[in-house]
Amino acid sequence: MMSLLFILFAGMAVGCAISMVAQRNPLYSAISLIGVFISLACLYVTLAAPFIAAVQVIVYAGAIMVLVVFVIMLLNVEAEERPMRLRSLIPIAVGLAAILFAEAIFIIFFVQASPSTPTDNISNVGLTSSIGAGLFTSYLLPFEITSVLLLMAIVGAMSLARRGGLVPPGAGIVPGDQVFSKELLDRRDIGDLSAVATHSTAEAARLLGVTRETETSNED
Amino acid sequence: MEELIHLVLVFVAILIAFTVVMTMFAYTTLTERRVLGFIQGRLGPNRVGPQGLLQPVADLIKLVCKEDIIPDKSTRFVYFLAPVIVTTTALMSVIVYPFGPEIHLPIIGTIQLVIARFDVALLYVLGVTSVGVYGIALAGWSSNNKYSLMGGLRSSAQMISYELALGLALIGVILQSGTLDLYRIVEQQSGHLGVTGWNVIWVQPLGFLIYLIAAIAETNRVPFDLPEAETELVAGFHTEYSAMKFGLFFVAEYLNMFTVSMLATTLFLGGWNGPFVHQLPWLGVFYFLGKVILFLLLYIWLRGTLPRFRFDQLMALGWKYLMPAAIFNIVLTATLQWLPVFDYVSKFLKTSAGFWG
Repeated sequence: MMSLLFILFAGMAVGCAISMVAQRNPLYSAISLIGVFISLACLYVTLAAPFIAAVQVIVYAGAIMVLVVFVIMLLNVEAEERPMRLRSLIPIAVGLAAILFAEAIFIIFFVQASPSTPTDNISNVGLTSSIGAGLFTSYLLPFEITSVLLLMAIVGAMSLARRGGLVPPGAGIVPGDQVFSKELLDRRDIGDLSAVATHSTAEAARLLGVTRETETSNED
Repeated sequence: MEELIHLVLVFVAILIAFTVVMTMFAYTTLTERRVLGFIQGRLGPNRVGPQGLLQPVADLIKLVCKEDIIPDKSTRFVYFLAPVIVTTTALMSVIVYPFGPEIHLPIIGTIQLVIARFDVALLYVLGVTSVGVYGIALAGWSSNNKYSLMGGLRSSAQMISYELALGLALIGVILQSGTLDLYRIVEQQSGHLGVTGWNVIWVQPLGFLIYLIAAIAETNRVPFDLPEAETELVAGFHTEYSAMKFGLFFVAEYLNMFTVSMLATTLFLGGWNGPFVHQLPWLGVFYFLGKVILFLLLYIWLRGTLPRFRFDQLMALGWKYLMPAAIFNIVLTATLQWLPVFDYVSKFLKTSAGFWG
C-alpha cells in the first residue's frame, strides 16, 4: 500500500517536474511547479511528517508560488520560441546528462543503504508538538535568527519598491486628496513647494491654471 | 481486511457528506434569495415549487442547458482548469470537520463522525484555502479581458491578505486547546449543558470576532465583495465564464462559505456540543448543522444590510487593523492562560464531566 502511494506521488512529482522544464509557456511551468510541491507534500505525509507537508502547501504552494504567478501575469511574460543559435550546445548537454545518469546508477546499485527499518507511524518526530517543543527550546537561536532574516527580506523589498526616493515630508497620500510633485507644478511658477495637497478637483484645476471662465456648475 | 472495511466506510462517508453539502448549497441559494427579499421588503422566488422549493432544480437545469461561450483568445487549458481548482479545494476541506460524537452502529461498531481524523487538520484547512486562491487568479488572467484580470488580481490580493488575519486569529484557539486536531478541539468544548464550554464564551471572544471578519473577507462576500461587484468590474474574475463553468464558481463561492462557517462552528461554537448530546449522540449532527445554518443566515443578513468597502479601505482593514488585533489576541490569550483566576474559570466552564452535557 505504501509503495503504491509512493509510486503514485513520486510519479506525479517527476511528471510535473518534467512538464515544468519542457513547457514553453511560463504560466504552465508555474502551474507544474505547484503540482510538484503538492506531490512533495503528499510524499512527506507518507514519511510520517504531517506538519512539514501542511507547511509546504501553505508556504510554498500557497504563498510563494502565488507571488510567482502574479509576476508572470502582470509582466505578461510571453511563451518563448526555441532559439536556434544554441543548437551547437546539444552534444555538451547530452554528455552532461549521461554523466548524471551514470552517477544515479552508481548510487542506486553500489552505495550501501543503512539497515533501517521502514518508517513506523508511531514515531513522534514529525508531529507538531515535537517540532514546536524542539523549536522553542533547543533550537531557539536559529528560530530567532530566521525571523530576523525574514524581516530583512521585507525591509529590503520595501526599500527597493520605492520609486525615485522617499515621499516628500509634507505630502499626504490620502484617497480623495491629490498630491502634485514639484516637477509638475514648477512651470506654473508658484514657488518652492515639495508637495501640495489639494482637496478637490476644482482646487487642483485652479492651481494648475486650467479653469474656464464660463464653467457652469451641475448642481442647481 | 480491516483496512478494506475502513476504506469502504470512508468512501461511503465521503458520498454522504458530498450529498449533504451539495443539497445544503442548493437550498442556501434559495434561502439567500428569499431572505434577501424579505430584508428588502419583497418576496423572493416562490413560484417554482411550493414556496419556491424547486427553484434550485430550475437553476441547475438552466445552468446546464445554457450555451457555453469560450472567449477566442483565452488560454484554453488554464481557462478550463480554474473552476476545477476552486471547486475541488472548496470541497476538500469538508473531510476534517467532526459532524458528531462517537456513535454506535449495529454491524460496524463504534465510529467517530468525522471522515478523516489526523494530527494537523487545522493546518490542512488553511493549506487548502491557500491553494484555492489560484483558481481565482488564473480565472481572471486566462479570460483575456483586462477587467477580469483586475478583478482576479484584486480578489486574490484580498484573499491572501485576510488569510493572514484568519490564521493568526486561529492561533488563540490552538493555544487554548493545545492541539491542531479538530476532533479533540470539539471534545474539549463540552461543558455544562453542552453550552458553557464553547470557545467563544469566555476564552476567545475577540478571536471569534477577528475570525468572523477575516472569514467574510476571505469568501469575497459583502461587505468585502468589491472584486465581484457588478457596478465596478462587471462580474470580476468570472465575467467571461458562462453556463456550467460559472455554475462551478457559484458552487465554489457558497462552498467556501460553508467551509469557513463549519470551521467557525468547530473552533468557536463547540461543534457538535449541545444539551443532552452525550445521551443521544445523533443530536450532535443536528446541533452542528444548526450552528452552520446560523452562520449562513448571518452571511445573508450582512449581504442585505451593509454597503461594500472600497478596495483600499478593505486592504487597510486587513493589514492595519485586523492583523495587529489578531497578534494582540495571541498575546492576550497567552498572558491570561498564565493567570490562575482565568484558568480556574475556564476549567470550570469547560469541564467535560458537566451536567446534562
